[in-house]
Amino acid sequence: MSNKINCSHCHLEFSKDVMIEDNEHYFCCNGCQGVFHLLSDEGLDSFYDKTADVKLSPPTEQYEDSANFNAPAFYDKFVKVNGDGFSEVSLIIEGIHCSACIWLNEKALDKMDGIIEANINFTNNKANIQWVDSVVKLSQIIDMIRAIGYNAYPYDASLQEVHANRERKDYYLRMAVAIFASMNIMWIAVAQYAGFFSGMTQELKTILNIAEGILATPVLFYSGWVFFRGSYYGIKNRVVNMDLLVATGASLTYIYSLYITIIEYGEAYFDSVSMIITFVLIGKFLEVISKKNAADTLDIIGKHLPSEVNIVRDEKIISVKLEDVSIGDTIVVSSGEKILFDGLIVKGDGSFDESSLTGESEPIYKQEGENVISGTISIDADIHFNATRDFEHSTLSNLVSLLESAINKKPKIEQLANKLSEHFSTVVLLLSIATFFVWWLWPHSFEESLMVSISVIVIACPCALGLATPVATLVGLNLGAKKGILFKEAAQLETMAKVDVLLVDKTGTLTVGKPEVVKETLYKSFDIRLLYSLVKSSNHPISKGIFNYLNQKDNVSNEIVFDEFTQISARGIVAKYNSHVVIGGNLQLMLDNNIKCSFISDETLFFFAIDNELVGVYELSDKVKDGAKELVLNLKEKGIETIMLTGDHDKSAQKIANEIGIENFNSELSPQDKLSFVENLQKEEKVIVMVGDGVNDILALARADIGIVMGSGSDIAVDVSDVVLLNNSLESLLSAFKISNTTFKLIKQNFAISLVYNAITIPLAMSGYVIPLIAALSMSFSSLLVVGNSIRIKYKWKRG
Amino acid sequence: MDNWVIVMMLSGSLFLGGIALFAFMWGVKNGQFDDEEKYLNATKFDTQEDLNDAIEKERKKEELRKKVYKPE
Repeated sequence: MSNKINCSHCHLEFSKDVMIEDNEHYFCCNGCQGVFHLLSDEGLDSFYDKTADVKLSPPTEQYEDSANFNAPAFYDKFVKVNGDGFSEVSLIIEGIHCSACIWLNEKALDKMDGIIEANINFTNNKANIQWVDSVVKLSQIIDMIRAIGYNAYPYDASLQEVHANRERKDYYLRMAVAIFASMNIMWIAVAQYAGFFSGMTQELKTILNIAEGILATPVLFYSGWVFFRGSYYGIKNRVVNMDLLVATGASLTYIYSLYITIIEYGEAYFDSVSMIITFVLIGKFLEVISKKNAADTLDIIGKHLPSEVNIVRDEKIISVKLEDVSIGDTIVVSSGEKILFDGLIVKGDGSFDESSLTGESEPIYKQEGENVISGTISIDADIHFNATRDFEHSTLSNLVSLLESAINKKPKIEQLANKLSEHFSTVVLLLSIATFFVWWLWPHSFEESLMVSISVIVIACPCALGLATPVATLVGLNLGAKKGILFKEAAQLETMAKVDVLLVDKTGTLTVGKPEVVKETLYKSFDIRLLYSLVKSSNHPISKGIFNYLNQKDNVSNEIVFDEFTQISARGIVAKYNSHVVIGGNLQLMLDNNIKCSFISDETLFFFAIDNELVGVYELSDKVKDGAKELVLNLKEKGIETIMLTGDHDKSAQKIANEIGIENFNSELSPQDKLSFVENLQKEEKVIVMVGDGVNDILALARADIGIVMGSGSDIAVDVSDVVLLNNSLESLLSAFKISNTTFKLIKQNFAISLVYNAITIPLAMSGYVIPLIAALSMSFSSLLVVGNSIRIKYKWKRG
Repeated sequence: MDNWVIVMMLSGSLFLGGIALFAFMWGVKNGQFDDEEKYLNATKFDTQEDLNDAIEKERKKEELRKKVYKPE
């Protein structure tokens, strides 16, 4: 045991005799040794003091040629030239384990000639690097990162992300000023209130007023700028919004308080000015941080598509850009590749994964003379095919353009807060004007009437109203996150609570999506290792299903190495072991080998024969996930209709629907059919939630009011959806509904609280009973009530 | 007279508070709080050597800036 030793670079433990010894240092591989020497040559070996015992991953050396990174096309896409004339790129660095790794990367890059700045974010491993392109090239930078044992690849820091970060920072600054000033104003205000009751000289009062005024000025004009901007856009669109109420309220109060300070008579309301703005700004900030970065549609598609394809030209295979392929060109596809064109197979055969069209993972066998469809994936087929359509008109680009329009046409349901605040703001502004005239005509002095009418706006402070939605949705988002439900945008919680119809995909959503063994019939005992080893080496879903079944049932430890092993597409596997012939596959394969079978079942069958004698039959079927029945029942109680949409055949759809208790289902649907199904329902003004997992669902997911995707779903589907269920379970789908309902209830409660509060305080203000102290207290108190109510729900949910 | 004491105290404390606020805002604008992990770990890498490196880096940046900037 004692001869285990740590590698000097990566700290992984290995036995001493396999290590490379080098001057009292030990290395697990050449890679680690290389990095170690490089670091000591560069004077960066203090890195090892900083890593302590953190285990690093040894450097791997199978990278593509870094010269690719200097291609003009690459520079066009990823490298920007900033205002100072420096080049700038965003990279994702792989292999970062600890803060010392960050230190090392930054130091190593900083030491390179021509690099201005290398900044790596620890949390997301994203790096921003600026350099002078005439001195050093991007490829050299990436080579350096690779040389010290990490890997880097550029990513497109889309404008969206940059923009969102800038907006967030802007809000931080505005809030910092607002909170700082409000807190200081509050302690000055304490002196004011004390003086109001115990009496103080007008001179002292003016001093305090001036101090408050100085503090309130940046709050109104710097922090409050967002409200002025918001009300400007509101007025432009002829909408009275909450921003207008806040802006007018705060600035009228500010001007009035200035006036009071100058004439040295009456009470100034500077504390209310800064408090209104601070509270509502916090609410706005909560909204901003829970907003989804509207996905860049082109980006979503782009990152899932290769940009080049191999074609045969002049009897040579060359790679050309997608746009340069014309009809009739022969395209070469090898196993595992995605098919990007529609065409006719001219050479070769094999199985294809058409789940992007049907949602079914069952491979489809195709041979010479049959059509291949773009968007599908070759599983084991090496084929040549002639393109029958160019890329622009292929099924795949058709899907892409449909997806883009689906994303753009996604309905936006107006939020309760917006509807309510419009009326609320109008009513309050009108009430305040009315109060002014009533007081003025009912002979009172101008100052007094103005003061009372302003106090109406101040007291009807929209603080609680502004906080009602953001605080409630934040609670909802948190509840969801704890249960593995990611809402990409806060507003979706409210939309989801209004759902009428739930559309659900079958394979992978309601069912597990993988065939599982449901029944085993053995005719004769045999060496289970034969079957185990046979299915282990195949990637076909049926083989995997049997493999999992055997794994669970009996723990087979040692495998058999076959003397001969052939996979027959769409049939099965034939292998030889110690002069025994082992055959596993479907009925067709058995008949081909003259093996008698008389087994009939509705399920998918796998036959296993040794030496042309049938020894076992396995029945497989796609199991329904736990909780499917409960989900449908529960939603029915809530008045939500569940409809199953599937690309599968009518018969299997019927079976699953019966099992779960779904009354309505549509089968044999293409992705476009699903989309138009959603559109038709939306024409009836229904709110649709679509749940799916595959590429065949993306159109419907993007178009539905809420698209929910299983976390195991395809990347594109996750990107276009609004909600992600990380644990893929139907229980969490039900929880998502519950959470959205709770949140919506909470929002309504919060509105009720703040409206009732205003119903009491506004008449008080109109009759002139409000002094600055009461205004300030009422503002804080109503906001506290709203926040407190939201927290209450959180605890209630936690308990049960 | 008493009032002047209050004025002095108010302006003194607001001035000091203001300095702290501006320092914070400068930090936020500068991106010093962008990455909380790095921010918390920064103390670990605050040796004399690191400070020298930082100065060296500033100097290098200035040189490169001059190099890139070509007056027309």
